Amino acid sequence: MPTAPPGYHGRYLRVDLSARSAAVVSIPADVLRRYIGGSGLGTWILLQETADGIDPLSAAAPVLFVFSPLVGSPLTTSAKFAVMGKSPLTERINDSLSSSHFAIAGKKTGYDALLIVGAAEEPTCLVIEPHGASFESAEEAWGKSSRDAASILADRLGKGFRFAAIGPAGENLVRYATVSHDGRHAGRGGMGAVLGSKKLKAVAVRGDRATPYHDLDGLLALSKSLSQKSFGPATAKYRELGTAGNLLAFNRLAVLPTRNFQTSSFDGAAALAPEAMTLTHERTRASCAACTIGCEHIYHRHDNASGVRMEYENLFALGPLCGIDDPEAVLTASALCDELGMDTISAGGTIAFAMECAERGYLDVPTLRFGSGEAVLETLEQIGARRDVGDLLADGSRIAAERIGHDTADFAPHVKGLELPGYEPRALQAMALGFAVGTRGADHNRSGAYEVDFSAEFDRLNAGAEVVEPAIETEDRAVLLDSLILCKFLRGVLVNYHAELAEMLNLVTGFGVTADELRVASRRIVTAKKWYNMKQGWTPSEDVLPARFLAQPLPQDAGPSGGAVLTRERLNELVAAYNLARGWDREGWVPAEQLRELGIE
Amino acid sequence: MPVHVELFGIPRQRAGLKELDVEANNLRSLFVELGRAIPQLVGVCLEDDGQLKPGYLANLNGRAFVTDTETRLDDGDSILILSADAGG
Ligand code: SF4
Repeated sequence: MPTAPPGYHGRYLRVDLSARSAAVVSIPADVLRRYIGGSGLGTWILLQETADGIDPLSAAAPVLFVFSPLVGSPLTTSAKFAVMGKSPLTERINDSLSSSHFAIAGKKTGYDALLIVGAAEEPTCLVIEPHGASFESAEEAWGKSSRDAASILADRLGKGFRFAAIGPAGENLVRYATVSHDGRHAGRGGMGAVLGSKKLKAVAVRGDRATPYHDLDGLLALSKSLSQKSFGPATAKYRELGTAGNLLAFNRLAVLPTRNFQTSSFDGAAALAPEAMTLTHERTRASCAACTIGCEHIYHRHDNASGVRMEYENLFALGPLCGIDDPEAVLTASALCDELGMDTISAGGTIAFAMECAERGYLDVPTLRFGSGEAVLETLEQIGARRDVGDLLADGSRIAAERIGHDTADFAPHVKGLELPGYEPRALQAMALGFAVGTRGADHNRSGAYEVDFSAEFDRLNAGAEVVEPAIETEDRAVLLDSLILCKFLRGVLVNYHAELAEMLNLVTGFGVTADELRVASRRIVTAKKWYNMKQGWTPSEDVLPARFLAQPLPQDAGPSGGAVLTRERLNELVAAYNLARGWDREGWVPAEQLRELGIE
Repeated sequence: MPVHVELFGIPRQRAGLKELDVEANNLRSLFVELGRAIPQLVGVCLEDDGQLKPGYLANLNGRAFVTDTETRLDDGDSILILSADAGG
């Protein structure tokens, strides 16, 4: 096998659960350079390994754990991995990132990625070590939370393993089930359901295969300076308040989605904000593996139950979006999502949608009312078990709306099936574009176009073609971090973004890439994701927002965003301008010539 | 003329208060007066020359973000000071 560049093993392991076999597959060095790792490399592997139009919950559908050249290095925030495949929620490409020691141990198995196809007959824990794969029964862990499953399996398998596992929601094929390790989740898009469909409770990794560095001294020096900078003012908000520190500002600007996006400010926001919750709840701080920023804020409930990691997205989705202003209810709901293994954004979004359906008389569940914390908790339990109305809601708001009928599809809060995160698109219109064109659906981690809205140069309430290029830039920057993989919260620390990232990659790999080459790599990876979607049945009609956002202005009493309007025509124009700026045709089809130029096919 | 200032995130933490009124007729004078009123904000979100530090934004009345320090302010206007990084 040819020698891999430093930072890589130059191969992935292809495991077939049905055949209980594994085979090593080489990855050409030029692919590693062009697709880097994480989301990029994963997209390339998925393009090789996925049949067109595959059912994501079929045995043949691949699920992929991808590492990156920077994993295991001393660079802060680099202990990350991507879980990828075709999403059962969106039927489009999904790359869900997580951050934990699983990434470091996984890469030490001697593979840059683990590709899993087939399905086991019984609950299984797939064990990956440098010598290959073995298949252990996970019968006794089935039905348990990911944390308890990991503990049961660790007792049996012995020391040194790290486990990525699913909870009951994944077993029950909830289409937004997570894959979790150590309290961190590959959250969005339902990769947990893909594992569940394969009866794969957990993947255990352990190894001793380190990859060399091109320039260790240089890397150590740069890592030290990056860590020092990461303590600075650019990350103070994350350290001191966490991402939940957005809540009060978003509420004041009236961009905080409330009661299933019926309005954008919430009277109860003050009680949920970290500024208030630190006065009423004991709080501790934590960080992902190998991170010097430490944005995690863990709140302890009054009943002394285990602490709950509180971030803006779970706070918004299980709080204002469902009309909940009780911090205890939001903390308990977040803890329940963790326990069951469900994405908080999709869970909250789907429940908020169901609440509106129930209040309008389309769903006969009298307890489902905005503001009822009990209803949220009960519905989460039902979803995790696919019981009662939970069976309907376990498929997400898009499919639920198709089944409920009436005009409910107009207010099911998703793009491509993925529920919107906590940014009101009528009041953040560059973000609306980012949501509409996102290859994995509405997502704030793949497009950072809210940065364009939060800028003096653009009008967040009246976006025109001028937002397209900067919105694309945020998407390209995000995909680069997701491929390297580094945390997005380092953004503020980087002054010469591409040059600094090129230097990090070069110190590890010796590639000698330039900033411009990384810009092209970003375009390549975004385009490759789009190409994957085209092969899976993408059509231009899905690059849109639900009718609510395009037909109803925000209410006049929605504070400074009151009356904000984003018409269908204007969003269509923004999407067309985006497509043309990417070098695609006006509808968004990628020309064959561009695929060739970027070396995608 | 009095302009209402609302602080969010780290500026609110450092100031220990969420809002105050300051006398100012444009953004520069507002930042200078704010620095005088709450010196602990200088070096956090304020430069010492009447500018906001990188990483922070000013917003006028919840609508437009403003950077031009000559931006005229009227009696009753509100200036919000918040982190530019809205990532969640
Ligand atoms: S900044 Fe937060 S999310 Fe990012 S790596 Fe550190 S702890 Fe994890």
